[in-house]
Amino acid sequence: MTLYFGDILPYLPVMLKALWVSIYVTLISFAAGGVLGIFIYLAKASRFKALQLFSNGYIEVIRNTPLLVQLYLIYFGLGSIGINFNPLWSVLIGMTLNNSAYTAEIFRAGISAVPKGLREAGTALGMPFHQTFRYVILKPGIRNVLPALTNQFIVLFLFSSIGSVIALDELTSTLQNLNSQTLRTLEIFSVGALLYFLTSAAIAFGSRITERLAFRW
Amino acid sequence: MIITVEGLHKSFGKLEVLKGIDCEVAEGEVLCVIGPSGSGKSTFLRCLNFLESFREGQVTISGHNLTGAKTNLNAVRRDVGMVFQSFNVFPHMKVIDNIMLAPMKVGKVSRVDAHARGMVLLEKVGLTSKADVYPSTLSGGQMQRVAIARALAMEPTVMLFDEPTSALDPETVGDVLDVMKKLAEEGMTMVVVTHEMGFAREVADRVLFMDAGVIVEEGTPAQIFESPQHVRTQTFLSKLL
Ligand SMILES: Nc1ncnc2c1ncn2[C@@H]1O[C@H](COP(=O)(O)OP(=O)(O)OP(=O)(O)O)[C@@H](O)[C@H]1O
Ligand SMILES: [Mg+2]
Repeated sequence: MTLYFGDILPYLPVMLKALWVSIYVTLISFAAGGVLGIFIYLAKASRFKALQLFSNGYIEVIRNTPLLVQLYLIYFGLGSIGINFNPLWSVLIGMTLNNSAYTAEIFRAGISAVPKGLREAGTALGMPFHQTFRYVILKPGIRNVLPALTNQFIVLFLFSSIGSVIALDELTSTLQNLNSQTLRTLEIFSVGALLYFLTSAAIAFGSRITERLAFRW
Repeated sequence: MIITVEGLHKSFGKLEVLKGIDCEVAEGEVLCVIGPSGSGKSTFLRCLNFLESFREGQVTISGHNLTGAKTNLNAVRRDVGMVFQSFNVFPHMKVIDNIMLAPMKVGKVSRVDAHARGMVLLEKVGLTSKADVYPSTLSGGQMQRVAIARALAMEPTVMLFDEPTSALDPETVGDVLDVMKKLAEEGMTMVVVTHEMGFAREVADRVLFMDAGVIVEEGTPAQIFESPQHVRTQTFLSKLL
């Protein structure tokens, strides 16, 4: 058996279109999950026991159950009690919730890694906490979290392949369809893997460039 | 008196770190606080601007009663500059921006005025040429002088120093001490926690020896260094020689 990519070449546009679905599902859930993650982090860092308890519980449950099971719960579980989301919404909701728990932890780690002395210096200058946070803690905090956030983005992007189990037409399910059409299994999946790889590498590269341009201190 | 401390107690959990401190500082006075490690010097200093909260005792500083019901702590802190052992310059801001930040955000000074004032202060600490660099390119001594300029930019009436030279390479200590000396000569009220006995001897109006959360002895530098009365003071000073 020899490798032959000629057969699958015509399908490249279909694959790229599916790749784009994977990317935008990731972008949306990364952004929405990021915003939600900020609130989860704020709840965890707050003075209120109830909020701390809630966000801790949320983070633990999400980080200790498989994303696939979370997705089944949303798509089939909720569907079985009459709450129906289509595959796209199910994947978006699942990935957003999942991402929010991880990013909340990333924010917590990044902010608490900002030296306590910087906050004290801001306070000692007479700045109220919100100013100290905004002008003193935020930028070093963002610098701390950027590598972990990039990593989380890539992980989320790769996780978006679970959309295939509920027939969302993202890259992996498209690869499965093309495989059954062409029977060029090795070729199809190696090209698919290459697309995932190149996209992830581009994201990592972009992040490193951003870091270099944005944080010159 | 610009600072009055009465019956100040401070505990961290079960550990009582300050066990009743009474002390006064007059306007323009330079008070040096010395004592063994862990005796509560930093805690005492940090109570003076309520960076460390306390439940028992009274502190009045620059006309504010720290524990008063209506006291705005941020307003107090604007009048009280603080310099830390670890500099705590803001790494993401150029030197001049470090100095301009609080006047602009807290003092509502215009950018132009804040910049002008910042340059005057940089000249005072001998760092005019470093205005537009990031702190990461500076030596420890230079960073500490930026921190001093940053605190002075709020035009405080009192300056608190917590071992400002302890984290420095020996060759940069002198520049920082010179800046502090100059400040003292200009009449700034200063409370300085220090291990630099030479500085205390030369610049302090009064030296205060703390041990185990109490003020053991206080007096002029001559009294404390030439003829300490308490055994604990004598022991501490003899170890330094
Ligand atoms: N935030 C804190 N929580 C718990 N204990 C603390 C805290 N800060 C200080 N302490 C304890 O309080 C005691 C006094 O500390 P402090 O830093 O005031 O001493 P110091 O005289 O400044 O010592 P040094 O010369 O080493 O700086 C020490 O036993 C220290 O461990
Ligand atoms: Mg100390």
